[in-house]
Amino acid sequence: MPDPAMTPLITLDNVGLCYRPQRTIFSRTKKEIWALRGLNLQIYEGEKLGIIGRNGCGKSTLMRVLAGIYGIDEGKMLFSRPNVHVELLSLGVGFEGNLTGEENAILNGMLMGKSRGHMLERIDKIREFSGLGDFFDYPVYTYSSGMNLRLGFSVAMETDPDVLLIDEVLGVGDEVFAAKSEAAIKEKFSSNRTVVLISHDAETIKRMCGRAIWLEKGQILAEGDPGEVAEKYHTGAHQYKI
Amino acid sequence: MWVSTLKRYAGIVFYRTLAGIKSEGRQNYLGYLWFLLEPMLSTLVLYIAFSQITGKGGPEYVVFLILGMITWQWFESSCMLGATAIKAKYGVLTQFNLPKYIFPIVSIMVNTWKFLCVFVVILVTAAVFGYTPNFHYVYLPGLMLLQLLLIIGVTLPLTIGATLMNDLLTVVSSIFRLLFFMSGIFFDASLVPENLKSLFYANPMAVFIESYRAVVIHNQPPQMSHLAEAGLVSMAFLALGMILHAYYDKKILKLTNA
Repeated sequence: MPDPAMTPLITLDNVGLCYRPQRTIFSRTKKEIWALRGLNLQIYEGEKLGIIGRNGCGKSTLMRVLAGIYGIDEGKMLFSRPNVHVELLSLGVGFEGNLTGEENAILNGMLMGKSRGHMLERIDKIREFSGLGDFFDYPVYTYSSGMNLRLGFSVAMETDPDVLLIDEVLGVGDEVFAAKSEAAIKEKFSSNRTVVLISHDAETIKRMCGRAIWLEKGQILAEGDPGEVAEKYHTGAHQYKI
Repeated sequence: MWVSTLKRYAGIVFYRTLAGIKSEGRQNYLGYLWFLLEPMLSTLVLYIAFSQITGKGGPEYVVFLILGMITWQWFESSCMLGATAIKAKYGVLTQFNLPKYIFPIVSIMVNTWKFLCVFVVILVTAAVFGYTPNFHYVYLPGLMLLQLLLIIGVTLPLTIGATLMNDLLTVVSSIFRLLFFMSGIFFDASLVPENLKSLFYANPMAVFIESYRAVVIHNQPPQMSHLAEAGLVSMAFLALGMILHAYYDKKILKLTNA
């Protein structure tokens, strides 16, 4: 449990976010879908926070709010200091098929908030870690989906955000790379970096996180020790419908 | 801090543009050669069409038409590509915290690169027909920059509008079609009736097309008063675009059905 005297790095105060799907004059879908509503959450510097919840509970929306991709419609989100770099771990999103692994690695790193220089300095490490060999110089369209993940993961490991948001990806790729990538993620967890991990698997949260919350319908139902939260989630999750 | 952030965005635009050009170059067997071959082909097609079909013929009319066509095409295809860029990159934009104007501007810049290649081919063609490079070519970079400003200005609000409401694209392509016939691509501005001249020149594209022709064909400087007006219209669009992007940047992905 975090020390109550500690100031949180990120504070969400009564946060609400709603989607307003487009309608046509002939069909009427729901006007507003509140993915988060009345959410209060503190994220402390260096903590490993697990977020557990069923599909559609608002986990991914919350991640995008934290990453600054979605603006909130209600409440406040405060950072304890300016320029906190929050990054969502995403694998292979935004790759250009006709460009080589190396070119994509640099471009992808730039999308994640790093300069070209930062990526160029680390390109050899990325090549090494990805284990793609000669394929690193081939266009990405020649890659298998597993190789795509390898490249994406290797890039993400070199972007060093202040807060790393992970959505269900721990070990990726084949057996060899899965072990390697899980080890790399664990290293991120053991460093003093702030990590937020989303999962619908309570075991992962228990194993990796120091604190956990159970999210349901955009609100927190339980908060605290991962073991206890996971227990509540196991016994209580069935009574809720999407 | 915002300076370094802006620098990073400029870097993304620059290297994404390079990547887009490379990516297009690698799609075909002839690769980068197509950046010159394609404009040569389309110039040839336009030449054949216009020199034979229109009774006027003659090298002047061909160069006159081609200049109008490519200038217009740069404008229209950039705006239309840029308009759909947010939707096209929806998957990327929901993963990375990026301003939404980045990908529209990248589409514009890739298209601008192609325009520059075309323009070189056109200048060579013009020279072959006897319109050799002249001193007034110094106006060309400025003209292109001003037109680029217009293209970005029109695209920024358009991309927000088209992302919020797909229907807008259909309406806008009709408006573009109308402007296509009203920008003096097929006729000279001197044919416009006196009482309609101010309306004709209110369209920045008409001004730009006339300006390129003045420089390349007539060896004259462009009409500065008209260009100033076109610049003002571009700035107005740009301002509208910036306001819309500031307002919708964090909202638009929640409001679209991409």
